[in-house]
Amino acid sequence: MIIDVHGHWGPWFFTMEVGSVETNLAVMDRYGIDMAIVSATEAVCYDAPAGNRALADALPSSGRLYGYVTVNPRQLDAASRDLARYFGDGRFVGAKLHTDYTESPITSPQTQDALTMLAELDCPVLVHTWGRTVLDLAQSCVDRPRLRAIAGHMGADGYPYAIEAAQSCDRLYLEPSWSQAPAGRISSVLAAVDDRQLLFGTDSTLIDPASALGAVLGSGLFDTAGPVGSAGLTGPAGLTAERLAWRNAASLFDLPTS
Amino acid sequence: MPFRQIAAQLGELRITFDVDALLGAYPGKDGGITDSGELGAALREANTTAAAVASLRAALFDVHSGNDEVLATDFTPVGGLDLRDALGAERELDRLAELGVRAIRLFPDEQHAEPDFPAVRHLVRRATELGFVVLSGGDVRRFWKPYAGLGATVVFLDTHFYHLGDFLIAAREEMGFHTSTRLLNSPDAVETVASSVGVERMVYGSRTPYAESAVPRLRLARCGLSASDVALIAGTTARRLLGVDA
Repeated sequence: MIIDVHGHWGPWFFTMEVGSVETNLAVMDRYGIDMAIVSATEAVCYDAPAGNRALADALPSSGRLYGYVTVNPRQLDAASRDLARYFGDGRFVGAKLHTDYTESPITSPQTQDALTMLAELDCPVLVHTWGRTVLDLAQSCVDRPRLRAIAGHMGADGYPYAIEAAQSCDRLYLEPSWSQAPAGRISSVLAAVDDRQLLFGTDSTLIDPASALGAVLGSGLFDTAGPVGSAGLTGPAGLTAERLAWRNAASLFDLPTS
Repeated sequence: MPFRQIAAQLGELRITFDVDALLGAYPGKDGGITDSGELGAALREANTTAAAVASLRAALFDVHSGNDEVLATDFTPVGGLDLRDALGAERELDRLAELGVRAIRLFPDEQHAEPDFPAVRHLVRRATELGFVVLSGGDVRRFWKPYAGLGATVVFLDTHFYHLGDFLIAAREEMGFHTSTRLLNSPDAVETVASSVGVERMVYGSRTPYAESAVPRLRLARCGLSASDVALIAGTTARRLLGVDA
């Protein structure tokens, strides 16, 4: 089983045609991804309430796509209303917060307030991180004992900081999505971070899942040698692989996996 | 489909030619390979039969000895130039041509060269006149320009899918413009290039050993193109461009 914790639904402003739910499902099928948690691109890039509303209308009840309520830290009243309306309805299972589009760094007062609100709701939040900002997210978790946060892109080129961040708080999770795949990035994280803090994310349908999946496969975690267990994986490495692939996500978001 | 099954599928895709491999080491990065035998092993591990290899010694320190380094291997040698030394690069182009080298590689990011620098335009023109294929680093949105109007045969090694529209617009007018698939990793970028300007305008590049080759291989293995089109991208087109026997 594979659960993608960093997905999007909706069109992008680049040269690509990926706006439909059918495209989401087709791209998931391309790589055998069973479930994905998506945010609306409109909500991330432009208008959070309108995008959240559109996603609520578009999300199928197939059990394969789940939703993030996108939070614009500059519009906390609207975010609070959207969270009350959607979070926990069986389809929306967490929150998404993008610091760049909203020009709200993790250390900004408005994002700090947003994280406090999400912690009080026990709402897992996927936060865009890049470079050293992943350390700011870890500190935010340390400061809020109920906050559970996913470092989106695990800092991208700042993955050494993501290792340090994850080691500082066990409620900080890492997911690997990035359009670049420098050699050794995933294996470095696997060697240094508790595997109960690892998740699988793709940033699809902005980025094809091949990018994250290929990077994970390139780490050697999914060695094709040896006997095949019940989930196609064996031994201690097999448990790490399963935790990364789906077990941690299913637990964090309380997703049905039977 | 568990991860393990996807991993197994990677083994089914044979890369017959990779245009983007590097011998040598960046002093500021881990993972470089300075031994040609080790680089060959890394490529074989990635199911890759052959590769065009450029020297980081040439790109970062000394073009002459660096290029000699790859000329002494069994790889298809790619000559490096130093854009910071236009006169030396002219001489190296002539030397490489006399040695029968078919391709050169430009490293504008590493050498802090901009596309409007006189050396870039001059050396690109000279390389084209000498019949070289140019493997070009740099942002395609800006580095298309020094190649325009020359009839140059170019492979842009760093085309990111964010910049796909710019590549396609430029490639419509420049039939010699090609792109590596390394960063064409949106859900439909590979397919869009094929439908817009033709599948023969894409070549597989991995940047071994500095990037995970499993990413472009997996993208290619699971793309929506026919097996014959995949074979073109996986090496047939690059071999034709570089005059490498199958």
